[in-house]
Amino acid sequence: MQLFTRARGPVRRGPLRRSLCAVLLAAGACLALAGCGGSSGSSGKGTLVIYSAQHPETTAAIVAAFTKQTGIKVELKNDDEDVLTAQLEQEGSRSPADIFYTENSNWLQQLDDKGMLASVPSSTLARVPSRDNAANGKWLGVSGRYSVLIYNPGKISASQLPTTAEALADPKYKGKLELAPAETDFWPIITSMIRAHGRQAALTWLEGLKANAGSDDHTPDNETLVGDVSKGDADMGLINHYYYYRIRAEMGAANFHAKLAWLAPRDPGFVEDISGAAELKSAPHPAAAQKFLAFLVSQAGQNVIAHSKSFEYPLVSGVAPNAELPATSTLKPNPITPAQIGTGIDARNLLRQAGLI
Amino acid sequence: MATLSPPRTAAWMTRRRRPAREIGLLVVAGIIALALLSPLALVALDAHSAGWGEIHRTLFRARSVMLLRHTVVLAAIVAVAAALLGTGTAWLTERAALPARRLWTVLLVLPVAVPDFVVSYAWHSFAPRIPSLLGASIVMTLGTYPLVYLPVAAALRRADPSMEEAAHSLGVGRWATLRRVTLPLVRTAIIGGCVLVVLTVISEFGAFEILGYQTFTTEIFTEFQFDARAAGSLAIPLVLLGLAVLLAEGLLPGRTVAGSAPRRAVRPVRLRRMTVPAMAGLGALVVLAVGVPVGTIVYWMAAAQQTTLPAAATLTSATLTTLSYSAAGAAAAVVLALPVALISLRRSTVPRTVLERSTYLTKALPGVVIALSLVFFATRYAFGLYETSTLLVVAYVILNFPLALVCVKASVAHVPPRLTDVGRSLGRGPVAVFVRVTLPLLAPGLLAGFCLVFLTAVTELTATLVLAPIGVQTLATQFWAFQQNIAYSAAAPYALVMLALAVIPGTLLGLWFDRERSTRA
Amino acid sequence: MSAIELHEASKAFGSTPVLERVDLDVPERSITAVLGASGSGKTTLLRLIAGFEALDGGTLTVGGRVVDDGARSVPAQHRGVGYVPQEGALFPHLTVRGNVGFGLSRGERGRVSDLLDLVGLGELARRYPHQLSGGQQQRVALARALAIGPAVVLLDEPFSALDASLRSELRRDVARILSETATTTVLVTHDQGEALAMADQIALLNDGTVIAAGAPRRLYQDPPGLAAAASIGEFNLLAAQVDGATARTALGEISIVGPGASAGPGDDGLGGSCQVMLRPEQLELRLVAGSADTAAEVLEVQYLGHDALARLRVRGDGTPVLLARIPGELSLEPGQSVWIAVTGAGRAWPATAAS
Repeated sequence: MQLFTRARGPVRRGPLRRSLCAVLLAAGACLALAGCGGSSGSSGKGTLVIYSAQHPETTAAIVAAFTKQTGIKVELKNDDEDVLTAQLEQEGSRSPADIFYTENSNWLQQLDDKGMLASVPSSTLARVPSRDNAANGKWLGVSGRYSVLIYNPGKISASQLPTTAEALADPKYKGKLELAPAETDFWPIITSMIRAHGRQAALTWLEGLKANAGSDDHTPDNETLVGDVSKGDADMGLINHYYYYRIRAEMGAANFHAKLAWLAPRDPGFVEDISGAAELKSAPHPAAAQKFLAFLVSQAGQNVIAHSKSFEYPLVSGVAPNAELPATSTLKPNPITPAQIGTGIDARNLLRQAGLI
Repeated sequence: MATLSPPRTAAWMTRRRRPAREIGLLVVAGIIALALLSPLALVALDAHSAGWGEIHRTLFRARSVMLLRHTVVLAAIVAVAAALLGTGTAWLTERAALPARRLWTVLLVLPVAVPDFVVSYAWHSFAPRIPSLLGASIVMTLGTYPLVYLPVAAALRRADPSMEEAAHSLGVGRWATLRRVTLPLVRTAIIGGCVLVVLTVISEFGAFEILGYQTFTTEIFTEFQFDARAAGSLAIPLVLLGLAVLLAEGLLPGRTVAGSAPRRAVRPVRLRRMTVPAMAGLGALVVLAVGVPVGTIVYWMAAAQQTTLPAAATLTSATLTTLSYSAAGAAAAVVLALPVALISLRRSTVPRTVLERSTYLTKALPGVVIALSLVFFATRYAFGLYETSTLLVVAYVILNFPLALVCVKASVAHVPPRLTDVGRSLGRGPVAVFVRVTLPLLAPGLLAGFCLVFLTAVTELTATLVLAPIGVQTLATQFWAFQQNIAYSAAAPYALVMLALAVIPGTLLGLWFDRERSTRA
Repeated sequence: MSAIELHEASKAFGSTPVLERVDLDVPERSITAVLGASGSGKTTLLRLIAGFEALDGGTLTVGGRVVDDGARSVPAQHRGVGYVPQEGALFPHLTVRGNVGFGLSRGERGRVSDLLDLVGLGELARRYPHQLSGGQQQRVALARALAIGPAVVLLDEPFSALDASLRSELRRDVARILSETATTTVLVTHDQGEALAMADQIALLNDGTVIAAGAPRRLYQDPPGLAAAASIGEFNLLAAQVDGATARTALGEISIVGPGASAGPGDDGLGGSCQVMLRPEQLELRLVAGSADTAAEVLEVQYLGHDALARLRVRGDGTPVLLARIPGELSLEPGQSVWIAVTGAGRAWPATAAS
């Protein structure tokens, strides 16, 4: 009987099975690790839980200073403010969060409308101008930012720029404008325009803006808008001032080709946005939460904000903003208050009607 | 016929067992499917509380029609492009005499590992004036073609070359053979991959935000800013789209026969003059899909104006966290995919197919919807789990289950029932046969599923932001945090580590095919 | 004592009946071949005995134990029935040694070497299935099935995938191994030659029923009915008039046996007509006319090496084409005239009773 064999080369299956075993073992180990690694929902005593939609670097600096001063440990959750608001609403009274710190005040307003916020101690509220806080004292203003025109001087000269927000809708600016209508900082401008000119005029204005922005159906975010203006892909846009400074700092002044132009004093488009914080009614650590809110508007806390790379304006008087920024006294924004800005629902509806979002 | 004494009845006669074992499997698979579909419950609840009027207004305005058109057009374009690209590259690496085949196999799989937000940012800086549809198509095609490449390459490897040889002997030319013989053989694989591609496009958000391409999903995110519940109801068209895709796939005729392994190794097609163009084409593809994002990241790091480099400690802890969560999610996804893949093995009835297909549905939903649905369930019914790593791992499983299922199913189809029959005839019970015969044969598919889910989980962002234990960072969330600060140079190292992490399973995945010496079953 | 008894076994898949009231007795230590065309239900029969399917009706007894009575059944892993499917079905992830030892407990693993020696593959213990040829794989599969010391071994078309030359060699080896181990074997095949060569008993399966069972020689030479005759070997069928122990056919007077024969004309009450079967080797061809020979014309000759099959038509008659087996050296051309002489007796059945 001839026994012939056909050699087929080294068998590979062994190593494959070994790697499978190794991988599964590793996965099992990781599961175990992950199980002990992640902290459970309830934080330990004396730990403050903050849901922050403010820029992470600034918040980290504030938190570090706070812990250093008070010894209270902080756990931070960073995410977009719309997602955080939705999450807080879903969590309801079982939320592990103590503080909600946002970039725009309308989210705090939305939570307050649902009765989810606790009152801020009046001593804390008193540190900032009362118009910058919630009317009913449920949330605290911490820092401010202003809406401003950003333009590329190579594409459009300063003299050609509109001085009012209303003029932005002028057909002579067709194709020169870029909008970021999905960004929350756009809404206060719209609310202000509604307040100044009435709903119908505001709608017409939005439609004019849409025409000027081109038919591309673009809804970029603010960072992209600034980048596009700097590169010259768009001539101008409306943003909150700090984006300009931050991106310029990151890219380097030599590579950054955009400039700022403030709108006319008290123009409806010249709006101050408030970034604020609030304690949740369901906060597990109310004492620590109130200490944090106090810290935010203390000299130390405001100094952290002023010296950070956030380029926002501290609201407490006597604290100077970042040296690169124009002094607060030189700015003359529209007197619209956060309370009047509200939850922004009118702005949303108008944007929808105009077909911008 | 007469026996000398009455036959003794066997001591352990059992009730007819035929349906019993299968019922256990069906129940397990059913529970898994229900768990996977649970986010839809939240979508339904949101819709209910938003009220029909609100939904009507949101869904049926002119903009919605435009969005739907955008989503469908993009999905169609990307599906076709990814199918062409995936099939073409699979043919090149499996059937052609390509130099450095193994290297190409690994490189071609890598795009799965590149975070989509990095890709679109890279493309936006690369070609900012690109029309948004073109940009979105390019980005998505480059990112999803591996989902077609993988199953098609596996199918080609198993396909019997004798059919193509028969065609040649009948005088059918090379291209015609490709079209009329080879492609039909791998049709199921192509279509399966395309289903995944379409679902991925439908649920994609991060890539489009930067490119400015409006789809239903980007709209959900915009809508989130106004009314989370209306946003939830916007997910309904996504689910319906997903259903339509799955139904269409189910209706398509023809299943390839679970191939018996080829008797001979395939003789690779010599490319001759086409070798250089083929290599150049593949090279261009890899450069576009992987090189551009990597190059952008490196450029960011080099162009750093502010050197806020991350501390080694944060980078290490984020890496370890990412590793452990992703591995846990991948392992869980693969283990859970097994029963679901097995239910259609012996008998393929309509209810079983529906059960199996239903698990694909949540892939049409964006990550944030799934994350919030888990918040909903956890805060109400399982608070101990809330903001623990377990819940995040569950999210990873729900998000990526179809990827694991596709890989495991591909392997399951090649375990002939004959082998389990023989195992039983040799005296081993069903469990022993499963462990000693079925599992080892499934090993390559399990491994591939693990790698694919791992790769996707490493770059997962939106669900992680919502569900991760407070204060715990993964590479993706760290990247995002720095990017929010516009500190791209600081964000870059995290992206690079994500890519580095992904190279290992990417390589394993690529080698899965190479190692798969066709076995004679 | 029968190792396997099937009594009125029935099985249907959905509404399609596959086996209907099958009776089969497999004696111990013998090889029974189940012979039938594709679709006759052979594999189902095997799977029923193995325990992968359950009977719808009837009983199945293995080794004296009732393992399936139509309502309850013993699962396959408890039956002690070895199963070798088509193409071996070796576990591709295990070596030869691993395959053969699969059904053995740790203590019994020593048997593997003996079994491999038995099938002649001693030095291939470390190889993987894909490194073996088809014949070697079949041997390993057999060794694997024998390893657990089964009461019965079932082989499903075990040699169909092999080359012809390999087949006969492997057949002999397998028959030897099975008799050496005194194993009861049920072998399913569609190859008549294989069944005739290997089996102690052949069961003819046609459309879900066993139409005949018996020793190969008897079935071939003395088939119980026409269908049985048609299932084994070539045959010629002639219409005839019965006249006692002879019949008048187109080939002249032939002596007959079987149910068609009777003592005298008209005795059976059927008017004396019957059908007579003659095997091809019973037709002798001569180039020169003999006394009782019939003239015929050669239509074609199928040369088989060891002999040849000639197709003939009787001159001037409407009889169907006849098959004659002739020695290989005899070279005939189409159109050539030959004379047919009949040797031996023909098997006769009444004309109306065809089976």
